[in-house]
Amino acid sequence: MLQGLQDLGSAYLSFMTPMTLLYGLGGAFVGLVMGILPGLSATLAIALLTTMTMSLDGNVAILVLICSYVGALYGGSRTAILLNIPGTAANAASCADGYALAQQGQAGRAIGIATSGAVTSTLLGVVFLATLTPLLANVALKFGAFEFFWLALFGVTLSGSIVGGDPLKGWMMGLVGLLLAQVGEESLYAYQRFTFGSEALAGGIGLIPALVGAFGLAEVLMALSDPIERKIHDLTDSVLPRWRDLIQYRWTVLRSGLIGVFTGLLPGVGEDAGAWVSYAAAKAVSKEREKFGKGSIDGLMAAETGDMSSVPGHLVPVLSLGVPGSAPSAVLMAAMIIHGVQPGPMLIVEHPQFIYHVVAMTTLASFAILLFGLFGVRPMLQVLKVPRNILMPIVFLLCAVGAFAVASRLFDIYVMVAIGIGAYFLRRRGYEMAPLVLGLVLGPLLDKSLRRGLVLSDGSLVPFFTRPISLVLATITIFMFLLYVPQFRSAVGRIGKTIARGARSALGRSSI
Amino acid sequence: MNSAEPTHATEMAEPQHDGDSEAAASPRADLYDAIGWVILGVVVVVLSLQMDRLQDRHINPLTVPGLVPGLLGVGMVIVGAILGLRSWARGALHQALPAVAENERKRRLRVLLAVILCCGYSVVLLGHGLPFWVASSIYVTCSILAFDRMSSDPVKRRIGLLAVAKALLIGVLSSVAVWLVFERLFLVRLP
Repeated sequence: MLQGLQDLGSAYLSFMTPMTLLYGLGGAFVGLVMGILPGLSATLAIALLTTMTMSLDGNVAILVLICSYVGALYGGSRTAILLNIPGTAANAASCADGYALAQQGQAGRAIGIATSGAVTSTLLGVVFLATLTPLLANVALKFGAFEFFWLALFGVTLSGSIVGGDPLKGWMMGLVGLLLAQVGEESLYAYQRFTFGSEALAGGIGLIPALVGAFGLAEVLMALSDPIERKIHDLTDSVLPRWRDLIQYRWTVLRSGLIGVFTGLLPGVGEDAGAWVSYAAAKAVSKEREKFGKGSIDGLMAAETGDMSSVPGHLVPVLSLGVPGSAPSAVLMAAMIIHGVQPGPMLIVEHPQFIYHVVAMTTLASFAILLFGLFGVRPMLQVLKVPRNILMPIVFLLCAVGAFAVASRLFDIYVMVAIGIGAYFLRRRGYEMAPLVLGLVLGPLLDKSLRRGLVLSDGSLVPFFTRPISLVLATITIFMFLLYVPQFRSAVGRIGKTIARGARSALGRSSI
Repeated sequence: MNSAEPTHATEMAEPQHDGDSEAAASPRADLYDAIGWVILGVVVVVLSLQMDRLQDRHINPLTVPGLVPGLLGVGMVIVGAILGLRSWARGALHQALPAVAENERKRRLRVLLAVILCCGYSVVLLGHGLPFWVASSIYVTCSILAFDRMSSDPVKRRIGLLAVAKALLIGVLSSVAVWLVFERLFLVRLP
């Protein structure tokens, strides 16, 4: 405990240099701008900045990336409020009340609420990040090849729910991601798979080119393809955070903050789920339900608090289990690997300080968004005035540079373009790209763990089901998978209701 | 802090987020996808079976390199088949693909143009002797002019000397800025 506090203190101190703080602010700024621009996401911000931070020290680079992650989600609320378009998927819940407030001439107030809610909830999430990650990581230390196999499979099973759309299409994308991860030399015998004699393919499909293509180029094509023009709303009142609102809606902030953290902890449940569940919970307990969707401060506060606190929540499984739960956290995890940190159970052994560094980074990120919320909102909104015909070609330029920068191979640019074009058409047909990223990240782990496990057991599948942790993970994975079967889901629902009724009867209450 | 003057309403050319929602594919489209996925899955299984079993190294047959790709191929066949069955149950065989609306036609044309420009830049301009900033300037300038030409605004559609000069200036400035930031500031080698 004391050692943890000491580590945390030294982590905070290590970032207290002017240059490091400047890098953090820069990351938050880029993230904010990306979040403000509809179509550009937190995922793209992290993917692009990963290449730009290649030459930086690992800790500073990851600080920049975490700040951009937090900044992008925060920035996304601007367009939700002013344009009725969520800057990122997580800000969709803010559209209803944020835009309604803007229409009532209270756009500045809405932005202020978003700022105060975002900062408070991120800080709340940081507390859970600091306390839960080491606990979970210590449990995960007992993992071996069998357990890692189930962990990877669990991650892929989650790809059915990672974007909340069609589970079948999510799984298919997860499988495609896993398949792409098999291209190149495999890890046990250095055998070349799916290379068709190509030297370039022997190196495998680079994570960054694939990410930049799937999120960057696909977004550029999405944006450029749209023939419709939009109007930005007036911003006439003060954008200062209303701390009075924060005090008045303190229970909303606390409730939504906790919901955000715990939805973030569940791998596969994205930031948008944190926002929507918080919004629904706030509406359920509100005395002014009729105001929801028509400019409710409570509703906006709940949505913004829920999505922001899920960021530290997402970092817990990334750091302790190596399983990212959302697209931005998957890219962040990939970036950590590129910067020499392997998230997962061994992290607490190999880099015990790193968990506390991430806690310090997330705290800094929340202060960075407060600073920009106070001083930078109006100037930054100018970026919305840049026509997409100008902006998107420049973003593509950055995508090309980003894909090339990691290994200085032209082939990586071709990979980025091919995956980007494919991703655009797949997205248009209802396939999301986040599961593909999850598959790409977890592919090598799945392959290595399954085959290592089989070597250890001399070909027997029994240890995959009989070791205690394996058994738990297998049960969870199979249960998660079966939840997508309608008959099984309704049966579980019925059992849940029966148990609830029984509990109420036992407590002497009347059943409903 | 809050002293900045109000931002006036501005006409914007910003992307909408309706792309994904519009993308909800019809049962017929899902059926075509399913057939494609099943074929891909079968190809992957066949390629996996053809991979070396490394018998000369006396390795355990359950750890052969083709094991995981083969299982993934089988997974793709199964998920693809379920997708196909679901689309069939939803009436894929009786419903035609939705007719292409005018807006969708415009969208397709714009995508085609964007893809041609992106491929032209990546495959033709980059890495074949042209300095990075020159290649990028050409791409950005051409993109701006091409999409202005396709704009629904008649004023933007008129490509005069001023519009060309403006696009060229933006192209050169942005390319030089990217080149400077990456190659000089971040010491990243560019193509």
